[in-house]
Amino acid sequence: MTIVKIEGVSKSFGKAEALKAVTFKMEKGEVLGFIGPNGAGKSTTIRILLGMIKADSGSVSIFGKDVWSDAVEIHKQVAYVPGDVSLWPNLTGGEVIDLFLSLRDQAVDHEKKATLIEAFDFDPTKKCRSYSKGNRQKVALIAAFAAEADLYIFDEPTSGLDPLQEKVFQKQVERVKKEGASVLLSSHILSEVEKLCDTIAIIRNGEIVEAGQLHQLRYLKRSEISIESTDHLAFLEKNDWIHGFIHMSGSNQYKFQISSNKMTTLIATLQGLNIQSLDSQPQKLEDLFMRHYEKGVGES
Amino acid sequence: MNAFKQVGLLYRFGFKKEWLKLSFWLLGCLGFVFVGVFAYTTIYAAPSDREAMAVAMSNPAMEALFGNMIGANDYTVGAMYSHTMTIMTLSLVAISSILLIIRNTRVEEENGRIELLQALPVGRLAHTASAVSHLLSYTLVLGCLSTLLLIVFGDASMSLEGAVLSGSLYSMSSLFFGSLALLLAQLTSSSRSATATSFSLLGVFYVLRIIGDASASFLTFLSPLGLLYHAEAFVTNRWWPVVILLLISLVLLYIAFYLQTKRDLGSGLLPARSGNNHASSILLNPYGFVLRLMKTPLIIWTVSMMILALTYGSVMGDVESLIAGNEVIEQIIVGESTNKIIAEFLTIIIAVLSIATVIPAVQVMIKLVSEEKQDRLQYQISGTRSRAHILTVFMAVSIGSLLVIQVVQLATFAIVAGSVQDFITIKEIFLSGIVYLPAMSIFVGIAALLYGWKPKLISVIWMILSYNFFILYFGNLFDMPEWLKFLSPFYLTPDYLGGESVFLPLIIMAISAISFIVIGIIGFKKRDLMQG
Repeated sequence: MTIVKIEGVSKSFGKAEALKAVTFKMEKGEVLGFIGPNGAGKSTTIRILLGMIKADSGSVSIFGKDVWSDAVEIHKQVAYVPGDVSLWPNLTGGEVIDLFLSLRDQAVDHEKKATLIEAFDFDPTKKCRSYSKGNRQKVALIAAFAAEADLYIFDEPTSGLDPLQEKVFQKQVERVKKEGASVLLSSHILSEVEKLCDTIAIIRNGEIVEAGQLHQLRYLKRSEISIESTDHLAFLEKNDWIHGFIHMSGSNQYKFQISSNKMTTLIATLQGLNIQSLDSQPQKLEDLFMRHYEKGVGES
Repeated sequence: MNAFKQVGLLYRFGFKKEWLKLSFWLLGCLGFVFVGVFAYTTIYAAPSDREAMAVAMSNPAMEALFGNMIGANDYTVGAMYSHTMTIMTLSLVAISSILLIIRNTRVEEENGRIELLQALPVGRLAHTASAVSHLLSYTLVLGCLSTLLLIVFGDASMSLEGAVLSGSLYSMSSLFFGSLALLLAQLTSSSRSATATSFSLLGVFYVLRIIGDASASFLTFLSPLGLLYHAEAFVTNRWWPVVILLLISLVLLYIAFYLQTKRDLGSGLLPARSGNNHASSILLNPYGFVLRLMKTPLIIWTVSMMILALTYGSVMGDVESLIAGNEVIEQIIVGESTNKIIAEFLTIIIAVLSIATVIPAVQVMIKLVSEEKQDRLQYQISGTRSRAHILTVFMAVSIGSLLVIQVVQLATFAIVAGSVQDFITIKEIFLSGIVYLPAMSIFVGIAALLYGWKPKLISVIWMILSYNFFILYFGNLFDMPEWLKFLSPFYLTPDYLGGESVFLPLIIMAISAISFIVIGIIGFKKRDLMQG
């Protein structure tokens, strides 16, 4: 069952084109990593999904309903945590958590709330005025996880959290996933995305440049090979399936990339040579991401 | 003296940041002094006018507002000035110096600026000392310039000594409340609570003086405002209140500096009160939520409007003597019989009170804009409340506050004004104000319309309101084309006391208010949310 479906969505603010025919979808129970540089259009897409702004063209639906006209109906089952959580300075964190839940028509489950407050190591009795960025995020996160939802939308939710609380967040995401919910996670922390997500969508300059299952994407991409050999391996560079060949000067170290399906070819080629060590690393999401981040790089 | 190292540098640096705000406040306070002295010397030049004024002023409501009558047997311009202007000027000055001190101490700390400076070779107390230096400069300049104004524009009854004393009184108010704020800034847990506590104390001192003036006079002397008022510049010219308050201020400053060395940056000596872990059912209610956001301004407005209504109401008995001889007011009110004069005077006052009541109602709508601009409306939009619902709730609170404040102030005004004269009954006065409600709702409607379509232009509503005030106030004074007046809902509201029929115009106005609201909702349902 498709939970989120975005088809050919464009959005302009004045002359600035924020989104250009963005298309991707999310299935039930899926955790989707939505990544891209600052200003690429992540938050704009999320704001469209939540019915805060209206797409100029294209169609956007959640649970098969239109995000603009059926917003109220959809939001009953959606929990949202914005990237920059702005709160009311004269309300306490505990009050805001309850308020957020009531805005979603959810009764406060005090036990669940207390458990989450403890897990996130949060003091709910202070006025929001005195909270740091991380603490303000905790308010929104606790409210999001304290009630049931079919879809969770997080916009860089952990940018202010310390590594310990990042773990708490990851645990909670795993929990709701197990319960069958879907999660849209916009994040800069790629290790987090790699750990949690099944699928990813990379957006750059308002366009989706890469989307699909994480393991498939990785399979299509290259492996990072490093070899130590007393034999002279410079001849490898001439093969067209070898990319970015480097001979570390003054050593027996060689580094290059190959498409993962060329591994057999590589092993055959190295047959009979004196190899001390061979290390093959699947390319990380970070490498893939960097290819899209840095214009022109990665094209070779 | 290491603790004070680099005070001079910080003072000069702070001045760059402060001069505009300080000039603004200085201009405001001096403008207040100037208007007072200029108005009294020109409008009340004749002794008979002043006698009439003295009679009008001798009632509990006016004495509560301004202070006990002074120099009644010889109500000179000087006496009149001291009597009516002193408490107000002292309070205004107090507000400015409280804000000055908090702005330069705790607010700076919260912004993290002092932390930056503390890391440099700057003395621990240098920053506080620099803030106090700003206070002293402000105090001194304010005292000297207001003395100068009083000398230049005062008449013969305003002696040099009285002028210098008046200036010193204003300076003392500035110094005392500035020092008090500095002391409180050491104790409270945030800049906001430091400001709130300082203002509350100012309010307590104000009320203490009122109670003291009315019954137990020793209470008056416990209030710095009452104490300084007792100096009676231009009448008895007592200097000892100034000396006493100067000594107290120095003690406060000393304690404040001492406490500053005892506390950590960014926190007060008194622990922050911890709040609720759970939201009350009021907060979770959509209307309760908006009321909670607007609680403080709405309470302040209600109380202020009641005081204003009380004051205006109590002078209604003396309207005749007040109007006699005052050309400006006579021109505004064109009438013959006492009955009619009072009716027209009532009508104008009620219109002014009504227009003022629109301000808090519009503030509720402005709050909605600021909620959106500060990215807090997104929680409601991404929740299960529809856009129409969200806007309707804010409008309901806005119109509800119109209704409540209008009824409360009209009841106050009608009871007081109805009982001090025999021409017009309490009920008639009350109803003549109620007929303004449709006109007032139109402004909420326009605010909703602007919000729905062009939220960035919401402040246009203030211009429209000012225009209405202008038409109301000066409509009879200058010749103005009728169509200009017809743009004002207040002008179009029928004159109930003048016997005009009310139903049709009011229904038309109510319908237009509702249409504006509906169009506003349509716009809001279509537009993008603003991002902060």
